[in-house]
Amino acid sequence: MTTTLAGGRAARRQTMRRIRPRRSPATLLLLAVWAGAVGVLWMWWHNTPSIADQNGKILNAGRITGLLAGYLMALVVLQMARVPALERRVGSDRVARWHAMSGRYTLCLVFAHVFLIMWGYALQAGKTLSDIVQQTIDSVNQLPDMGKAAIGTGLFLLIGLSSIGAVRRRLPYDLWYHVHLLTYAAVFFTFWHQITTGNDFALTPIAKTVWYGLYGSVTALVVWYRILTPIRLNMRHRMRVEAVIEETPGIVSVLIGGRKLHRMGAEAGQFFRWRFLAPGMRFSSHPYSLSAAPRPNMLRITVKAIGDHSARLRELRPGTKVWAEGPYGALTSQRRTRGKVLLVAGGVGITPMRALFETLPGAAGDITLLYRANTTQDLALWDELAKIADERGARLMYAVNSPDGERPDISAESLRRKMPDIDNHDVFMCGPPGFAQSVYEALRGAGVPARRIHHESFEM
Amino acid sequence: MKKSHPIRRVLLASAATVSGIVLLLSLKPATDSTSASAQGAAAQGAAAAQESPQGGAAAAGTSTVTGAVAQTQYGVVQVRLTVANGKITKAEAIQAPKGGTSDQKTALSVPKLNQEVVATQSADITSVTGATYTSGGYKQSLQSAIDKMKAAGANTASPSQSSAAGSGQAAQAKTVTGDVVTTEYGPVQVRITVAGGKITKADAVQAPSGGTSDQKTALSIPKLNQEAVAAGNANIDSVSGASYTSGGYKKSLQSALDKAGG
Ligand SMILES: Cc1cc2nc3c(=O)[nH]c(=O)nc-3n(C[C@H](O)[C@H](O)[C@H](O)COP(=O)(O)OP(=O)(O)OC[C@H]3O[C@@H](n4cnc5c(N)ncnc54)[C@H](O)[C@@H]3O)c2cc1C
Repeated sequence: MTTTLAGGRAARRQTMRRIRPRRSPATLLLLAVWAGAVGVLWMWWHNTPSIADQNGKILNAGRITGLLAGYLMALVVLQMARVPALERRVGSDRVARWHAMSGRYTLCLVFAHVFLIMWGYALQAGKTLSDIVQQTIDSVNQLPDMGKAAIGTGLFLLIGLSSIGAVRRRLPYDLWYHVHLLTYAAVFFTFWHQITTGNDFALTPIAKTVWYGLYGSVTALVVWYRILTPIRLNMRHRMRVEAVIEETPGIVSVLIGGRKLHRMGAEAGQFFRWRFLAPGMRFSSHPYSLSAAPRPNMLRITVKAIGDHSARLRELRPGTKVWAEGPYGALTSQRRTRGKVLLVAGGVGITPMRALFETLPGAAGDITLLYRANTTQDLALWDELAKIADERGARLMYAVNSPDGERPDISAESLRRKMPDIDNHDVFMCGPPGFAQSVYEALRGAGVPARRIHHESFEM
Repeated sequence: MKKSHPIRRVLLASAATVSGIVLLLSLKPATDSTSASAQGAAAQGAAAAQESPQGGAAAAGTSTVTGAVAQTQYGVVQVRLTVANGKITKAEAIQAPKGGTSDQKTALSVPKLNQEVVATQSADITSVTGATYTSGGYKQSLQSAIDKMKAAGANTASPSQSSAAGSGQAAQAKTVTGDVVTTEYGPVQVRITVAGGKITKADAVQAPSGGTSDQKTALSIPKLNQEAVAAGNANIDSVSGASYTSGGYKKSLQSALDKAGG
């Protein structure tokens, strides 16, 4: 796998030829989202010649919030459709953060919409704000598809509550996840009242077509990438557990065999969502990164036991069927813009870094790995890292707590002292949030521009 | 990896959203300055082009004023008034809620409301029980029509506007609305303006809408209107592909002519 290249200019040129940074489509996508929002507002503007009074203002504020919520809702679902452009080019963790942010915002719009519209109708019927509950009941009873919309809104309330930080931390991940899956039902139930009672869709037949198109294509993408693509992948590759190896106390590697695994197109730095078809484990799938570059008949993951699922992997028997979805993740060599690369790993964040350390093209001295752990015993995979470093002429450093538990010094100064040309590096980083944040600041202090710090989080 | 400030982000997003919406709402005028019937629904294609100039409403003869579109929870309501010599001689809803139980309610309430307007000559009418939403929307649209009518009345000094209303012959001009004729696809109702014994204008205040009817209406009504003015009688050709609408149109036109004494 590792073609060791001699140092020197010729070797460097050869390296550079293999570096083809691909820009993340994030900016373009954001522009498209904004353009769509402007389009939606324009539709409202076009269909609303005038607003006579206070009551009209309330109703129209309700219409605007409703239209925006209906538009964003489709995009919030789209973000979770596992579309390759999002998962592999923007990055799964970043998309998940977008999803969380835009999801919260959209739910706020939904609730504002319900409140404003019902308030407006109450006023129109000659009642006051305090009759809003009765008004809501009346509207749900009398208007088409409003019963469905009420069910959907109730589900949204449940989903929103379960995703509030403090609540979510107390819920088991799987419970939270399955509640979250109800989003699909909620979106389905709230869709119809938009078409049948929405003024703008009655007035503008094109808008109706566009709306069906938007929701139809999102549905198609979800079905394609979340259901059909994984089925095809697993039919083709038929993966099974080959062996489970203990690396350090609490960290195991799982070797997974299968057919033509190199055809899955996985790259070092990426991850899959794994489902092991063993009793008690088949109902949840967990993301784990490849901890070695994929080989034609073998993949490897390395997992730290931190909870239910991760702790049970050590009990896996060889031959257990594996259902995988992926590859996902954008922390790959495509992010690279420079000849020199610094890899920074915190704890089990070593897994994607280990795969990149092995495969990133580079001459001797181009690649450096900095590995942070609590103690030297916790430096999982150390032996093979040392071997790779040796073969490639790459640099390998570790930072652990001092015997009295003091944290190692990772600061702008210490980094610059160790690597005087650090500002000429691309940095790939994976580790716990606190660690990543402090290293990020140290790197920036040492002169590494933000666009060259590539980070992935294990939190979603 | 930039530091995230969740609270700041929430505040920013809320402030931006609220001020954006408030800005949009405040940019909209309180009354409709353009021809409101350019709005989608039923009679649009037919009536829009032939809206009489609203300028010289009270100047001479008859003119029509169309109110703003009022949104109710069952759909839109839009009122049109026919004004002669400063008096409301007729009120009608050119858009009213349709579909489901709305049809009944509309049928029940709108005619009553129309009558009341003519009787009271103001927006101070009582709601029809059982149809409070429609009545509310009706009143809103009516108020804006009356506002416009008054504004136009105050403007009569402007000669250009009164001539726009065609003051020369307008003295004898009158508007007659034919019967509602129900066709398989929905009601058709024709209104003609007659001056000096001739039809100077024809339009459909109601026409089938929804589904493919929208297309057919848009296709046929303008043609029929033209034909009616050209022929001066109800003996006009059907538009092919829209024979039901054409049939209804002709019947309603005939009844309007009968009423006009032509
Ligand atoms: C992109 C990515 C790559 C990862 N790669 C590795 C790796 O190579 N090695 C490794 O040891 N760990 C990795 N993780 C972390 C690993 O997925 C979690 O530690 C594991 O899922 C915990 O599950 P649990 O049931 O053991 O623990 P729990 O106690 O149930 O969960 C602990 C925390 O893990 C997260 N988590 C749990 N289940 C899931 C799930 N199904 N999907 C996403 N997050 C979940 C939640 O934040 C939860 O709060 C990765 C995570 C992500 C997002």
